[in-house]
Formats: sequence, structure tokens, C-alpha cells
Amino acid sequence: MDWHQLWEIASAPDNVPIVAMLFLIPFYLWYALKQGIENDKLIAILESDANLAKTKYRKTQEWDPKWDREVHTWPYLMRMEFLVAIIVTVLLMVWSLTLNAPLEEPANPNVTMNPAKAPWYFLGLQEMLVYFDPWIAGVVMPTLVIVGLMVIPYIDANPLGNGYYTYKQRRFSIWTFMFGFVGLWVLMIVIGTFIRGPGWMWFWPGRTWDAERVDYAVNRNLDQVFGIDGSWTSAIFHTTKDQGAIWARVIFGIFPLIAFFIVAALLVHWICMRTEFSRKIYQRMSLVQLVTMYTFLIFMFSLPAKILLRLVFTIHYVWVTPWFSI
Amino acid sequence: MPDRSPELGPDDPIKGRSFAFPLLIASLLLMLTVAWSFYVEFYGLQPWREYQSRFAKAYSTYLAKAVKDEKKNEDAVYASADYKALLAKVDAAEKTAKTQDEQIAKQIALLDDQRAALGDAFKDARGKIGSLVYQYEIVPDADRSTKEARKKDLLAGRASVWKVDWPLGDGRIQKDKPFTGDELNDVFTGIIAQRAALVAQRGDVDKPAKEARDELNQYASEHLPGLSSTSLELLQHSMRDFDERIIQINVNPPGASLNNLGGAGLVDRCQSCHVGTETRYVPSQVTLTKADLGMAKSKDAPYTSHPDGLLLQTHPLEKFGCSPCHGGNGRAVNSVERGHGRYEHWLYPLYYPENYNAGCQQCHSADMVTEHAPVLNQGKQLYRQKGCIGCHRFQGFDNQDEQLVNARQQILSLAKSKSDDLLEIPRLQKLGDTAPSNAAAEAFYAQATNLTVDISRMDATTESLEQRSHDLLQEIKKVGPDLKEARQKLRKEWIPYWIGHTTEFRPTTKMPQFRMSQDEIQAISAFIWQDSLPGPALEKQAPANSAHGKELLEERGCLACHAIGEGANAVGGTFAANLSRIGEKENYDYLVRWVHNPRQRTRPYCPYEKKDLGPEDYAKHNLPYVFDLDHSRCPNDGHELLVQQPTIMPSLRLSDADSRDIASFLITQKHADATYAAADYMDDPQLAAKGKDLVRHYGCAGCHEISGMEDEGRIGTELTNEGSKPIERLDFALWTEDAKRGEQPDGKPYLRDGKQMPWFDPKGFFEHKLENPAIYDQGKYHANPMDALRMPKPNLQSQDEVQALVTMLLGSTDPTLPPEYMYKPADRRKYIQAGWWIVTKYNCIGCHQIDVGQKSVLQTLPMYQGDLKGNLPPVLTTEGARVNPEWLRGFLANPALSTTDSNRNGVRQYLQVRMPTFSLSNDEIRKLTLFFEAMSAQPDPFIPPKVEPLSDAERAMARGLFTSPAAPCLKCHMTGNEAHDKNASAPNFLLAHERLQPAWTARWITDPAKIIPGTAMPSGLFRKDGDIWVFAGPTPGAMQQYHGDQADLLVRYMFTLTPQEQAALLGRTPSASNSAAGKQSGGK
Repeated sequence: MDWHQLWEIASAPDNVPIVAMLFLIPFYLWYALKQGIENDKLIAILESDANLAKTKYRKTQEWDPKWDREVHTWPYLMRMEFLVAIIVTVLLMVWSLTLNAPLEEPANPNVTMNPAKAPWYFLGLQEMLVYFDPWIAGVVMPTLVIVGLMVIPYIDANPLGNGYYTYKQRRFSIWTFMFGFVGLWVLMIVIGTFIRGPGWMWFWPGRTWDAERVDYAVNRNLDQVFGIDGSWTSAIFHTTKDQGAIWARVIFGIFPLIAFFIVAALLVHWICMRTEFSRKIYQRMSLVQLVTMYTFLIFMFSLPAKILLRLVFTIHYVWVTPWFSI
Repeated sequence: MPDRSPELGPDDPIKGRSFAFPLLIASLLLMLTVAWSFYVEFYGLQPWREYQSRFAKAYSTYLAKAVKDEKKNEDAVYASADYKALLAKVDAAEKTAKTQDEQIAKQIALLDDQRAALGDAFKDARGKIGSLVYQYEIVPDADRSTKEARKKDLLAGRASVWKVDWPLGDGRIQKDKPFTGDELNDVFTGIIAQRAALVAQRGDVDKPAKEARDELNQYASEHLPGLSSTSLELLQHSMRDFDERIIQINVNPPGASLNNLGGAGLVDRCQSCHVGTETRYVPSQVTLTKADLGMAKSKDAPYTSHPDGLLLQTHPLEKFGCSPCHGGNGRAVNSVERGHGRYEHWLYPLYYPENYNAGCQQCHSADMVTEHAPVLNQGKQLYRQKGCIGCHRFQGFDNQDEQLVNARQQILSLAKSKSDDLLEIPRLQKLGDTAPSNAAAEAFYAQATNLTVDISRMDATTESLEQRSHDLLQEIKKVGPDLKEARQKLRKEWIPYWIGHTTEFRPTTKMPQFRMSQDEIQAISAFIWQDSLPGPALEKQAPANSAHGKELLEERGCLACHAIGEGANAVGGTFAANLSRIGEKENYDYLVRWVHNPRQRTRPYCPYEKKDLGPEDYAKHNLPYVFDLDHSRCPNDGHELLVQQPTIMPSLRLSDADSRDIASFLITQKHADATYAAADYMDDPQLAAKGKDLVRHYGCAGCHEISGMEDEGRIGTELTNEGSKPIERLDFALWTEDAKRGEQPDGKPYLRDGKQMPWFDPKGFFEHKLENPAIYDQGKYHANPMDALRMPKPNLQSQDEVQALVTMLLGSTDPTLPPEYMYKPADRRKYIQAGWWIVTKYNCIGCHQIDVGQKSVLQTLPMYQGDLKGNLPPVLTTEGARVNPEWLRGFLANPALSTTDSNRNGVRQYLQVRMPTFSLSNDEIRKLTLFFEAMSAQPDPFIPPKVEPLSDAERAMARGLFTSPAAPCLKCHMTGNEAHDKNASAPNFLLAHERLQPAWTARWITDPAKIIPGTAMPSGLFRKDGDIWVFAGPTPGAMQQYHGDQADLLVRYMFTLTPQEQAALLGRTPSASNSAAGKQSGGK
């Protein structure tokens, strides 16, 4: 085990945010969920006692008959935010005073650094390049992520959970967040930082990053697995065999893709229909909202599906076209 | 806090809690952080502030003491009688001049007043008259009446009167003194002239006082070197109000434009901490050491002034800054580590002391010998001597082989165009014969004629290229011996042993140790054995007197390059092989030939036919089998042949008998118990075929001449810019991680100042590569054994040698500075630059001292210590001024100065050490001559000075001087008379005319010890009498009347000496024979 190197990576000034993230994200997840669950208990009490609910519903805390029903933003929220702002400022200043900017030597166009890594916040995207072609991983997926985040308010048909923590009332949103952010974004950054070494190869923590390492791995496209050679397309379209093969691949690739969309759509639908609560939300949604949400969720599932295909089944691309590949 | 409703409980967790305390703490923390950031900004990131304040304190203390000491010195000097006498002289002279001086000053003052008084009137008059002149001039001559009128106006203007308050001296003023315009002009010019005369007069009056004052100052500066107490006090003052701020140099060549176009683009702030190097605070007259500042033991006191002031004079700080030579990150001042560039991301870290000289290499890469850079020079010498150059090309190092290939290609392409042209001529003529018109025919014929002229021009070019090839073939020297002659030279069984055990057999050998299996060694031995030339057979030699051989070996100067004796007993130079076990490997007959003339070849090599010619080739053309530098053309194709062994070793022009004696001695040099296993496999042709591939694979032909591999290129990587290779390109192989952690292949940590340091940098790479290249192969799997690293382990004798080479490589970077920084002088220094390459190539410094301060190898040997110094070869520090370059050229080509009697020295026949014949090429002789001329600052080309002929009277006087008992010149100097020369210890005067330069000779005879300290030539023969030299001893009667320079007279006599005259003198010289014992003379 190469603890020395692990320490070097973890202590590099570049990686401070990632190391911090490793602790902060679990902590706040735990903290938010804890408060959510406590609230859920309170909500249960209030629901069982209608009178009480009419007078007292300060949902973020235990309640007391002597307390106000509501408190003002100013000063009760603002003063807290002010305090936090001061503390964060202090933290940022201490950080910038103690750690210098990780500047490197003047760039040499003749030498490519190995591993060549993006800034930490882009490492998730860079990791995605392993699984998709640059057009998909670099353009389509990030666009979907941004657009997907933008549409959330418009497709969220659940009116509950505003201004207080709750798990029960927003179970679906919370798990989507866990899956999309923690699973597909943070985890990918962690992989990109700690696991990917020279040659973007997979090094388990503690294994020395050896620039000389050589691995044997063959990734094949799905059509190759199925032996699509294009003889029948060239016969149909009267083209050469090479051109035929291109068309054969394009046509062939559509089927597994369609299959994935169907399976994923069914999966999403099954998830949405599991509880009484979510069925109620489902009823509230318009068709456009529903289709939008399903589409984005299906695309979200495509990443783990592809990771699985690549890492476990060594499938390179599923659908190969002359313009892009998936 | 907002007011609280009274009915609410005090324990409302939102409303009831006060935030005052957390806010207070957070705000305090914030303030603390802000304060911290200010501290970091002004002190944490500016550690130089503390360095500067410490410096100011320590330096003030030092200066206070220095001022006190200096004042004491000054008082002592001022109190001395000499100083007082001089001061009195100054006072007296000033007093004498005083009254006259004052009077003149008064006159001058009056003139100045008068001129000032005239001022306005003069200007006004000049303006008015000028305008009247113009009015007059513009009237055409034809218009007489107007012209007359204007002239009248002009005259009137000149006569009109201006009134001036005229000073008369002593404050008296004549009011309204009238002047006409003409008078004003005259008076004004008169005043100017008078004033100039007075100033000159005043100078004359003050001259004695001024001279006395100069003398006084001269005396004071001689007795009080360095800074005066006043200057020191000024420095002290500047330390008292020391202003802490960044001290920086914009590193630019003079004349770089404002935005640094053409500049180095560097800013060096090193002096911000290294304050002692700033000449504003520590002037160049002061050398500041740690001890001076009372910090001798401190490890953090970067205050010494630059230790090499001379170096800084030629490398002014404002042009060169610090980091171009020292490395490091000159603009970083936030920590020592950053400033020194010792962190991961700075490409050029500060050089460590053992590699300081690397900084010279970037600009001095064209120099073989760089002053002030002994380590770099050693590195370059090793690079050449150890044969690194055999595999690794390096720009500037011996590349005659490449030039030769070029010349050969040019010759071939010229031959091709010539043959094309030859075919074209008859075709053009035929076209001309059948042309339809006369004009067309003429054009064709003209073309044909032009072609013939072209052909003759090509012939001329070809001839000069052949000449150049001749030179180049002479200049190419291989590091190792010629393996074509292995069969004639070597003991068969010894070869495989040697390849496997180079350093065991000869611990100081140049031959590196290859990593080869036993099979490979056998194959290579077989190839070398079978590939070498079978004959013609060597002459059989009879054994001879080995005792005499030993004597000769020690006397003739062999030890300047070779050593003899093993281990600590080795005596002699390291330039060539240690001869201790030579008897175990060599064949006696071959050794005799080699000692007699190492350049002799068995067969000449033709680079065009790519074969070694034999008698049969010559016989085909009815030519005798004779090849040497004068018979160097191939009988088959007429091109230049390689007629000499490509060895540095020169011919010592020994007689056959002497050669046999030396060889007989050498052949006894062996271990009595040495045995070698039989090696019959060496005759196996299949093994030889395998060996051939191996020899090519390992690049043996880089250092050895091998049949069939004469044109093999260098197999290694070019190292010209190795120092700037990115670290990623240096193959640390499996040691990459260990190098980053400072762990070495031998298991020991890589230490510096007792701390484990990473060696993942070029320095570490080079060090480990040179110590043992095999480590970078360790643990590697090679499917084909031939894929393993080929670099053999260089046989470096010490860590110093490793560091010398590392220094050279570290400094060999891509130029980061603009071209004007590169040392490519255009004046005579370029000859010095070129000359050192030759001087070091042939190891001239083995025998001669060439540069001041340098020592030859022979000077350090036990047999030349004490009285025996006189047996040393001459010191050449002033050779260029001493000899006529024409003569030098001839001497270098033929040091015997004779074609018939060559078993001797040409000049110093009394010396046992022999100036060898190096067979230098014309180009090398030219460069060496220019080198010596330039070293002595001689103009080029040389024009021999005229020597005035002597009158009969002068000759008689000179003759008297020459043979006077006080200067018995011929007692030591040779005459050519054998009986006399037995005891001679200085050169023959008859050579002087051709050989020497008169000016140098005059300097030499008047004070030889000044030119060559310790020479046997007596000093003090002459003394200075006014401007001329006169003989110091009792002079012959006739001389008393001579008023000329007597040294000059003697020189002129020497330069016109004839053999008859000398023979006549010989009889008159007081007993030549009694000078024999104890008179060990040398030098000149």
C-alpha cells in the first residue's frame, strides 16, 4: 500500500475542496435527513391533532404554546446568515493565506503531463469521457444537466416541503438528488481525483501511480459482439461492404437504444407508481411535465448503464454512427 | 435586539437566544484574520525585509570598525615623514603661485565684468548693423543710387554710438562710456582673446602646485588602498537610514528597448536578500565575508559580496543579473525555496556549489577552455577524453568526421556534374555545326566554351576540397586504438579478457565497461580478430637494452601523457594509457614500430572505395607501396587516403635503436603471474559474423577504427541541449518513484546537508547515469537482450569527475538568453577560443605551461623538482610575443627544424624532453599560431619589425659586451660546436633572427624573471639609466662613450649574428667548460 502517495494526492492544494467535500457532503446529508425525520414526527403529531395544527405549526423545531406561530426574517434569519457569512469569510481567508495557488511550470507544448487532469469541479465530466464520445460527454450531457436543473421547478408538482426539512414528503426528490448529485457527480469527481492515475488508468487507493503501467484491455462495440458486418445492408443498398457496414451499425444500434428507453421508461414509471403519495403527485402532473421528467430521468439512468456496460462487459459503444457514438 | 413581548417565555430558541457572543467571536476572528493577512502581505511574503534589517545592523557594526581602522591608517600615513614632505611641497608650491594666481584671477574677473557690461549694447549693435548689411546686400548692383544710399546708412550705423557703464576694476565704473559699433565689436573679441591668454597663463603658474598635489594624492592612494574613511562613513550613514525595499535588476543587454524587446525578459531580485552583492552598499573595493559580519557560523546569512570580482568585471550585473548564470527563480522573493527555484515547478533550480560552472556553459558552449570555470573545463576535457563524444554528438566538439563526409559528397557531386558537362560539350558543338544560322551556331559554341571554363572551375573546387579532406583526415582522431591492427598488435587470448575486465586490467583506462554476456564477448573478440588486417607482416625486431629504454621513457617526456606504475605508485599524466601492464597484451615487433612512429599504418584506407589498400593496388599502377602525408592520393581513384593512424600520439622522432630500447622496457611491464585462457573460438567465422552485429550494436566504431565500419554514425543521443530536456524525457525507468523520495538504487538515501532529498531532476538523473547506467535497466524485462540499454559504465575516477560531467550537461541548455549574450567574440579572442580546442586535443599542457597560473603535468612530476626544473620544456606564456609567427608555423610542422637530422629538438637540442612531431594539419597549425599570437595580444597579420643594422663601431662594442666576463652569453647558449654544446643550456643565437621578435628579446634580456619566474637566464644584466638601459656589470672600455640603449644594441647584434662571427666569439668567451656543473638553465 502506497500511503505516501495517497497522502501526496490528498494534501495537494488542488484537492482541498475534494477532501473537504468527502466530509462535508455526508455530514450535511446526515444533518438534513435528521432534521427531516424529526419534522416528519412533528408533522405526524400535528396531523393527528387538528386543533393544535391550527395554532402551532413551527415545523422546524419542537413547539411550545408560549411561542409565536411565526418569526420575522429580519432579524431572526438575517442575523444567522450574517454570522455564517463572517465565518465563511474567515475560513476563505485562512485558506488563501495558508495554501498558495497551485501554479505550475510554464507550459511546454512538447510535453503532455500525465495524468492530465481538469480542475477538480470538472473531473466528473472528464470521467464521463471514458464512457461516451466527446460529443456526448462534453456537449450533450452537460447541456442536459443544466437544462434538467432548470426545469426542476416547472415539473415539480409536489407542493409540500417548502421552508422546512422533510423526508417523507419529498422522498422522490431526495432520492433523485442522491442518485444524480451524490452518485453521478460527486462520486465521479472522487473517482477522477483519487482513482484515475497516469494514462487515466484505474488505480485503487494505495496503489502507486506508475506512469509505466501497462494494462491489457479490449473494448468492443456492441455490433462487433454481435458480428454485424454489413453484408445484408450492402446487398440492399447496393453499396460497398464498408459503406454497408456503416449503415448496418447505424441501424443495428437503434434497437438496443430503443430497448433501453423502453426498459428505463418502465423503471421510472414503476418508481413513480410505488406509493400512494407518489401516485397522488403523478395525478397532479400534466402530460408535458410528465414526459419532460421521464425523459430527463431516462437520460440520467443512461450514465450508470453505460458505466456498467463499459466496466463490466467491456462494451465500447452501443450505437456507432459516422457522426457520434453512444 | 428587538424588544421582546412580555408574554413570551424567555426560552424561545429563536427569538430568545442572543447572538452577541458568537458574533463577537466571529468578528474578532475576522479581525484577527485580516491582521494576519496584513502580516503575511508585508512580512510573511517579504522575508527579505528581515534579511535586510539584519544585514544593515551587522554591516553597520562592520563599517564602524572599518572606519576606525581606516582612520588609524590614515593618521599613520598623514603623520609619516614622506607624506609631510610632500604636503610641505604642495604648500610651498601653492604659496609661490598664490600672488601671481590671484592677480590673474583679478584680471579675469575684470574682463568678465567688462564683457557682461558690453552685453546688451553689443547685441543691439550687432543686430542693427546686421540688418543694415542685409538692406545693402539685397539692392542689385545695377541700382547704383540706392546702393550708394544704403551704403551710407550702413557706414552711419557702424559709426553710431552706444553708451556703456564701463567697469575699470576695483569697483570703479566709468558712466556712459561711448563706443561706436565697430569699437564694440573689436573690444568684445579683444576681451575673449585676452581672457583665453590669461587662463592659459594661470594654468602655467599653477602647474607646479598641481603636480605636487597629484604626487601627494598618488602617495596617499598607494599607501591607503581601498576606500577612504570618508567614503566608509558615507556608507555607514546610508546603513543608518537603510530603506528596506526590493533591490532588483532588469536583466537586459545594453540598448534593449523599453518593453524589453531584445531583452532577456528577466528580473532578478536576488539582491533583496543577498544585499552584500549590491555595489551601492558594498562597493567593489570591499570584499565582505560572513566572518567580517561576525556571522561565520550562521547558516542563514546570505550577505557575502560576490567572491570573484574579476568575473563580475566582465559580466556586469546590470547586463547579466544573477539567475542567467546561477539558475533559480530570480523574481521570486517570498521564500528562500522559491527564490532558489528549488520546488517542483521551476525548471531551472539554483545550481549547487559543485555545479556552479554549469552557468557558464550556456553562453560559453563554444569554448573548450573557459576562464574561471575549472570544473566545466574538466567536464569538457573528460567528455572528449573518455570518449563520450564517440557515441554522443555535441555541437562544437570534434566533428571532422561529419565534415569529411560532407567534403566527400561534394567531391562526388562535382565529379558527377563534370562528367555530365563533358558529355554536353560535344553535343553542343555538334548542334553548332548543324545550326541553321551563323548566330545560332555562335551561341552553341559559346555555351560549349562556357562549359569548359566551368569544368576548370569545378576542378579547382575539387582540388581545394581534396586539400580540405587531406587536413580533415589528419585531424580525425579516434579515442581508442585502431582495431584493424589487432592481429598484429595484440596477444590473441588477451582480447576477450580485456573486453570483460577493462577496469580490472587497467583501473584508469578510458575504455568503459560494457555489460555483455560471455557469449557476446567471445563473438566480438572473434570478429575483431578476424576482421583485422592480415599484413603485410611486421618487420622482426631484436630485443634491446631495456634499462636504457626506461631512462628514455622518463627523459623524453612520455610521462606528460602516460603514467607508469600501478595504483598509488603511478607516475605521470592521465591523458593517455597507464603503461603498467602493456607487456601482457602487446606484440614486441608492433610496439617497436609504434614507439618509433605511432602514426604508421599497415595499410592506407581509401574512403571512396571503402577498403584498406595493399601493395597489390599500388602494383597495378606500377607504383611503389609508399604512403605518407606527401603521398596521400589513392592510386585507384586519385582521392585522399587515410595514411596515418588516427591517434593523438605524436612521433617522438626516436632512432630505431632507441625505439627498440623503449619497447624492450615496455614489454617487461607485466604481472609475472598473468595467464590467459586459450581462445580458439576466435577463429570461428560464424562467431565473427555474430560479433559483427554486436560491434555495430554497441557502437564500437565510435571510438575505434574497425574494418568495414569506418562510416558508422554515433549511436548515442545528441547531448548539445541535454540540460533543457524536460524531466519527462529522462528515463528514470523503475526508479521514478524512488527518485522522487530520495531513495537510491544502492539503498542509501540521497543526502544533501544531511537531509534526504529527491533526485528526480536532471542533476540526479545525470549523476546516477554516469555512476552506473545499468540502474536504469534494473528490473526491466527485455524480450530481446539487445533491447537493454547499451550505454557502458564510464570509467570515472572520482565523484569530482562525475560532477564535472554533470556540470557540463546541466549547463548545456537551449539558449534562454538573447544571442548577444553568447560568447562569440569577433576580435582576437576568437583565435584564443579556437586555439584551446587544439591545445587540449593534443595535450600541449602536458609539457608546457601555456596560460598564467596553469601547471603542466611534467612540472608536477618528481623528476623535475628543485634544481632539475631546468630540464623542463619551455614555458609558453608569452610565446606569441616571443617568436615570429612565420617561424612558429614552420616549427610546429617540423619541430626538428631539419629534414635530415630529425632525432633531436630543433631549438633546445640540449633538452632531453623531446618536442614531438604532431603531424598537425595546416588548419591546426594556423589556429595554433593565431592562438599564441592572440594570447600575447599580437596584431594579425604579423609584419616583421625592422632591425637597424650595426655600424662597425657598434658591432665592436656589442662584441665586447657579448663576451664580457659579467655576461658570458655563450657560456650557456648553444653555438653548434659539439664540444661546446655538451654543456649548453640555452638556444643558439643564430636562430634569433628568424625566430624571435626584437621587442620581446629586449624585454627578455633586461628582465627575464618578470616574463618567466625562476628562469635560469640571469636577471639584472641591465639597469635603467633615465630612459635607456645600460649594462649593469663593468663595461668594456669602448662602451663608455656609447650613449644609446645598450640592451637594444645587444639585440640588434644578436639579430645580425653570423655563424662566422659566433665561431670567432667562441674563442673569446671565458672558459665554456667550467660552467658545466650545477648550471641548470632553461626557460628561454
